[in-house]
Amino acid sequence: MIKRLFVSLLIIALTCAYVMFSDTLIEPSVHPRYTKVTAQGQALSPWQGPWACVLDRQHNLLWEVKTDDESIHDGYWTYSWYDQGLGTENYGDCYFEAARCDTQDLIHHTNKQTLCGQNNWRLPTEHELASLIQPPARPGQPYIAYDYFAHIKKGDYWTSKAKVKLQQKFAHLKQGAKAVNFHSGEVVSLPYRNAAFVILVSDVTKTYSHTQLSSRDTSTTQ
Amino acid sequence: MRRPIFILLHTAAIFAITLSLLSGFRIATLTKPYILTVAPLLPSGQVHNLHLLSASLLVMLSVYYLYFTVNSGRITSQNRYHNVVTFFGYLVITICLVSGLSNYLDLTPTQFLSLHYYSALATVVYLLLHSWVYILQYGRRAFKKILLMNTKSVPYGLLGTLGLCTAILFFLLNTLTHTLNVAPISNQVLMEIDGLANEPQWQQAHTFIIDTTNGANFDDGHTQVHIKALSNHKETFFLFRWADPTKSLQHLPLIKTSQGWKVKENGFYQFDEQSHYEDKFAVMLSSSCDIGADGTSYLGKKPFSNKPANWHGKGYHASLDGKIRDLWHWKAVRTNNMVLADDNYIGPLAQPLSGQRRYKAGYQTDGKESGAYVMNWLWYSPNQVTPKRLPTPSEHNHSSVLPWFGSQPYQSSKDTYPIGTQLSSVLYRSNRFEGDRADVRAKGHWQNGYWTLELVRKNQTESKYDVTLNNNTCIWVSAFDSSQIAHTRHQRAIKLRYSL
Repeated sequence: MIKRLFVSLLIIALTCAYVMFSDTLIEPSVHPRYTKVTAQGQALSPWQGPWACVLDRQHNLLWEVKTDDESIHDGYWTYSWYDQGLGTENYGDCYFEAARCDTQDLIHHTNKQTLCGQNNWRLPTEHELASLIQPPARPGQPYIAYDYFAHIKKGDYWTSKAKVKLQQKFAHLKQGAKAVNFHSGEVVSLPYRNAAFVILVSDVTKTYSHTQLSSRDTSTTQ
Repeated sequence: MRRPIFILLHTAAIFAITLSLLSGFRIATLTKPYILTVAPLLPSGQVHNLHLLSASLLVMLSVYYLYFTVNSGRITSQNRYHNVVTFFGYLVITICLVSGLSNYLDLTPTQFLSLHYYSALATVVYLLLHSWVYILQYGRRAFKKILLMNTKSVPYGLLGTLGLCTAILFFLLNTLTHTLNVAPISNQVLMEIDGLANEPQWQQAHTFIIDTTNGANFDDGHTQVHIKALSNHKETFFLFRWADPTKSLQHLPLIKTSQGWKVKENGFYQFDEQSHYEDKFAVMLSSSCDIGADGTSYLGKKPFSNKPANWHGKGYHASLDGKIRDLWHWKAVRTNNMVLADDNYIGPLAQPLSGQRRYKAGYQTDGKESGAYVMNWLWYSPNQVTPKRLPTPSEHNHSSVLPWFGSQPYQSSKDTYPIGTQLSSVLYRSNRFEGDRADVRAKGHWQNGYWTLELVRKNQTESKYDVTLNNNTCIWVSAFDSSQIAHTRHQRAIKLRYSL
């Protein structure tokens, strides 16, 4: 009887141990291409934030992250394409310029701000921006990794490719610039005067190592 | 032949009771978080099916055992202790079966809703007093006595008959539905979606009443939902009315502390807020009517081996049979001012996203073209947040929604609000959704402890994420009292019956 009681208690103890040590840990998975970076230039783990830039490890680029805080990086602002005399000045809409906005304004303000420790912000090339296109993960979302590039709109985003011959309904305007449409995931040609969105890019000038990534999250997103 | 039959019945009873208890306790984790302590021992996934199947088997075994003992008499001799324990076992298992069946049929009076759970706990006590004491008394011989049988002696006919009867009972129980008669109205009748239900057509419509249970914050977790439905050729109107003594419009409010702004919460970090949340109401629609919210309930912390676990340990909704289930989610703060219910759906498992901490499996929103409410914080942290906007001083009236016009971008220099100030966390960037997500118009009105919700949708939309409204459509309803996910529920589906 004592032996049977002992065996029973042993089974109960083993069951308790199993229950105590079999809890499922919930950990983030590292994105194969992107890393979040703070406005001060520090790399974050996937669930940490807030982040102001995304490090594109595949192309060694740093992308500006749009916001909805009415700062100069707000995703609702639009810009006409303009670069040192080429294009159309001040045909977009934003709140941070006394006049209206163009692409040069955003580049100027972002470099002055040294966003994420960089002062070489520019418009992306067609190849760079088109490389962000990917099918939406959820219905109605834009063609981009929306968990990293939040506040991207389903609309046109300027590239640096200018002096493009315009076709069809825009033919009379002769030249414009290339843009990527994240609603359809296609590259289009638009007149300089169009009010389109902008996501800036910069060439990475510092090294981001995985040792910078925190293994424990202190902040979370919903 | 009597002994092999006894061994077969006893072995099947062990199987059925064990499966019933384990699946039942998993279902109970939804409302009794302390059971999560032993969650690793419980099955996960579609446990409602397991529970109904094991209960069906137990019913068949009980019926046959009654017949068997009446005809054959007792075949085991027990001492006085085991006689008493066995009587206790018969009693609690009978109560458990009857209360479970009553719960399944949505027939249990409110005051007896917990009887099934407590009789299940009593069954565990019975198992300890019965099985454990036998094992202590006889050791391994106890197993030989009740399990071993010559293969030639196995009553295969009885085994097959029990299996077939169990399958038939399971099928019959699974196909039982309630019926909601949808009254016809003319296309010329104007129905105003205002939550007041003062059109004469509502007064004339038949009322269907269903008890929903196991929701957080309701009295004993229970609220009775009164449902009416009207339809012209193009649209169906629903009227839902349910008791909720507290009108909860404080949705994760921000409060100013000496350390800055914080989100008032009690469970939000685990996505299971149960105190500082708006009231809500949900309607699920499907073209089939099965148990377990039409097979969309997958309980447990990690019911899908190749997908992320959930934070609250309760489970997910997903639709893995290739069909979409529609889900209308009315929210007293976030969508009521838009005169909308959030048009959502339950579909296949979504691809997990590296940057998102909360994985929602098959529960997703329909797409929208534009329009949104956003949370009024730059970045959520349980410790401190920075609001996106502050109300202009003349507009600060503690309203449940912070309007765009009437607020200004946050600046620390303008943040002169005293400690203890409360602020809405729901910021409207536009008046309403546009597109697929805005297919369901809805308006709720709270008065004297009752919410009244009027809701309308086209019978047939063009969205692949919507379910058509017709005679084959089943609906399920759930009320939320100041809770994020802890909603009330009922077992059997409600089938729509149109008379047009």
